[in-house]
Amino acid sequence: MRRRAWTALAVVALLTLLPALPALAQDAAKEPAYRAFPLIGSRLAVWAVAQLHLNFAAFILGVPIFAVIIEIIGWRTGDARYDWLSHEFVKLTFAAFSTTALLGALLLFLFVAYYPKFWTYMTSIFFPTYWVYALLFFAETFTVYVWYYGWDWLSGPRKGIHVGLGVLSNLFGTAILLVANSWVTFMISPAGIDESGALKGSVWAAINNFTWMPINIHRLIANIVFGGTIAAAYAAFRFLGAKTDEERARYDWMGYIGNFVALSAFIVLPFAGYYLGREIYAFNQTMGITMMGGFMSWLWIIQAILIGVLFIGSNYYLWLGMERIPGSERYRRYVPIMIGILAFGFMVWATPRSMVITLDEARAMGGTHHPVLGFLGVMSAKNTAVNMMILTTFLSFVLYRRANRISTKSWVATGMMIQWAALGLAAAVVVFYGVYGYFVESLVRIGFSVYQVLAVLAAIVVVMAIDIPMFRGARSTGTIRWGTIAPRSQYVLILLAVTFTWLMGLMGFARSGIRQHWHVYGVMRDNSVDAVTPAIGYAANMITTVTIAFFALVMFIFWLGGLGEKGRAGESGHAPTPVFAGGSDAGSTDESRGGRSPRRS
Amino acid sequence: MRVPVAVKVGAFSLVVMGTYTYYANSIPQIQSKPPAELSLEGGNVTPAQLVKAGEEIFKTKGTCEICHRIGQKGTRAPDLAGIGSRAAKTKPGLSAKQYIIESLLQPGAFVVEGYPNIMPQVDKPPIALNRSEVWALTAFLESLGGTVDVKLDDIPKTAGASAAGGGAPAELKLPGDPKAGEAIFSGKGGCIACHKAGKIGASPVGPDLSQIAKIQTPDYLMRKILDPAGAGTVSGFPKGVMPPMFGQTLTAKEYMDLVAFLMTLK
Repeated sequence: MRRRAWTALAVVALLTLLPALPALAQDAAKEPAYRAFPLIGSRLAVWAVAQLHLNFAAFILGVPIFAVIIEIIGWRTGDARYDWLSHEFVKLTFAAFSTTALLGALLLFLFVAYYPKFWTYMTSIFFPTYWVYALLFFAETFTVYVWYYGWDWLSGPRKGIHVGLGVLSNLFGTAILLVANSWVTFMISPAGIDESGALKGSVWAAINNFTWMPINIHRLIANIVFGGTIAAAYAAFRFLGAKTDEERARYDWMGYIGNFVALSAFIVLPFAGYYLGREIYAFNQTMGITMMGGFMSWLWIIQAILIGVLFIGSNYYLWLGMERIPGSERYRRYVPIMIGILAFGFMVWATPRSMVITLDEARAMGGTHHPVLGFLGVMSAKNTAVNMMILTTFLSFVLYRRANRISTKSWVATGMMIQWAALGLAAAVVVFYGVYGYFVESLVRIGFSVYQVLAVLAAIVVVMAIDIPMFRGARSTGTIRWGTIAPRSQYVLILLAVTFTWLMGLMGFARSGIRQHWHVYGVMRDNSVDAVTPAIGYAANMITTVTIAFFALVMFIFWLGGLGEKGRAGESGHAPTPVFAGGSDAGSTDESRGGRSPRRS
Repeated sequence: MRVPVAVKVGAFSLVVMGTYTYYANSIPQIQSKPPAELSLEGGNVTPAQLVKAGEEIFKTKGTCEICHRIGQKGTRAPDLAGIGSRAAKTKPGLSAKQYIIESLLQPGAFVVEGYPNIMPQVDKPPIALNRSEVWALTAFLESLGGTVDVKLDDIPKTAGASAAGGGAPAELKLPGDPKAGEAIFSGKGGCIACHKAGKIGASPVGPDLSQIAKIQTPDYLMRKILDPAGAGTVSGFPKGVMPPMFGQTLTAKEYMDLVAFLMTLK
């Protein structure tokens, strides 16, 4: 009840504030360009609130996407565990909903109060979209409430309507993301304006700027990854504190699904990143070069390390998970090879182009580029490394998927041969263009990354297209022993969540920092005392501080949500826990799955 | 003693984030500072001073080094070694000086074979060099193997006209008397004790105000004088040093005179 009141308050505050913006903007025209936020300054205040808001927003937009997919799986298969899991995921989202809205309102207050001229300018371009945003926000709030509270009411024959509500809330949520992205991408790559910065024609031209669609795609995928990692970390936390085997089994499974969702989306995230980078270059070469080769170049080394941790961590979790699957022993021999590829790829990706060295060392080495390692610091090597890491991670997943299954199809040998050939061919294409890239001009080389990406995606499609029919009705070598996974695996899930959250903060700094001393790049200059774009160390301190605050808030909100659930145990509105006694096999064959839990009444 | 799960998970998360933070603080720290503006119009500048100023623009505000090298072939843009002499033969009908100026202001007019047409106009945002800066940069490029003969009048008067960006504040007529304001700066106001303003003062205690009007608005300056702490402190300078009592010690006219003087510092 209290949660509903908070959300309602936030929605009312936002709706009341939005129509008043033109009046505020007019007042702002008479006011100073900037005001100073007490103690920490305006920039840090906006930075902290914006990062927190985006963390929460990513979570509440990402989780419902896969929650509704899981609900559909449960609905179509009749397996109540999926319905329970979907409800658990939405419950997590729901608890964070009002916090997201309040942080959004706070961010708006900060802009209006401390950057009035900037906000006046943005309003002069985007005012029509404010109404769209407010209406979408209202529609999403309403739909999510009905979706969550109507879980039991819209069950049984009305389940289709309930699933429809879930889909609808996702459509509204995604539309909100698109509107908000138009504001932030206009600041990076303004469009639809004349030399004085005034809107020339329709607001659509300003919305549909160079980076809008790439960031829409990149954020949508990243939100799913983020939601998956946070949900998995929540499950890990509950696993580690579980009192019974049944509880441990349940949260082991939840953690696996969360990580599976995160990993599936994470594999395609680098491709969305390429698209975004290409559009930044297309908008402004100087901006692109500053981002990758200018004062921000070292940021990408840190990004490489974080992504390396995510890849290695995800794979390690899968390998640990295979320990609880009878029959997986036959795939252990592949693990050392995969470790080797991942480790080597990690080292290549984290190799800087220019070394930090003394003048004497530079003279001895013949420059700031190492004669051997320097070759690993360029994009040809890095693209090759990341594509090989993606292929390896995909292979880990395929092996996990078939760990306790033996295909009974007559064409299994041919199918396996085609699968290995597809993976081998993709690896060959990736390596060939990686090496060939050293012998061509940069403009040609940039185009090679497209071939590498297409080869990897094609291999994934081919392997899965064969794998699914090949293992349909497969013979089981035993059921998955949910809950028996090593506890250290749960720390891997927490590592992934913390790393991805930190990475989001870092990428937020990159996105904002490439504007340098411009509020709106090339249009509205930052004349404040904070016009300096800080160095990476300063940014890291800030990112860590906000990330700690985010996790503290998340823990608090989940704890509050848990209190509410304890008080209503057994009542309607909460999915009864399906039985996991002895561990059942969510990912295994139909015949081994057995023992479906009864549907909720 | 059994350690609660929340403590273990919290400590683990802090170690992970601490490691990332430590690493980020261990690698080279590079800030991106807003470029200072150079104004040479009306000043007596020797060719050597002009070349020196141009070299600095080449390496900083102009961001030329992102694509161009001197004495090294680049993949994005031509090597500029010897451009001062080579430029005279590059495009028929144009002298070295004319070619360099055209390349800076209209880079798409002639693109060297084998290179993409990616160079931005240097007098337009985001690089946004002003007329003086284009002058100095041209002199520097001429000095690379050629003779420095560029004059300010060779640079079109329209160059850098939109350098500050469309959102920059419009020119304001302030009611104060700059001459009287200069006297306040050096005398009653005591500003000279901490600030430098062009030829006046040399104290490094506070920020150098020699070009303050280029980077700050009048309303910021007015607020800063009356409420120094509230208007924020420029990074790199100690907080709380600037006295907060100018609203009481200066008359309204003196206050406006001082602001009018500061707005002449470009």
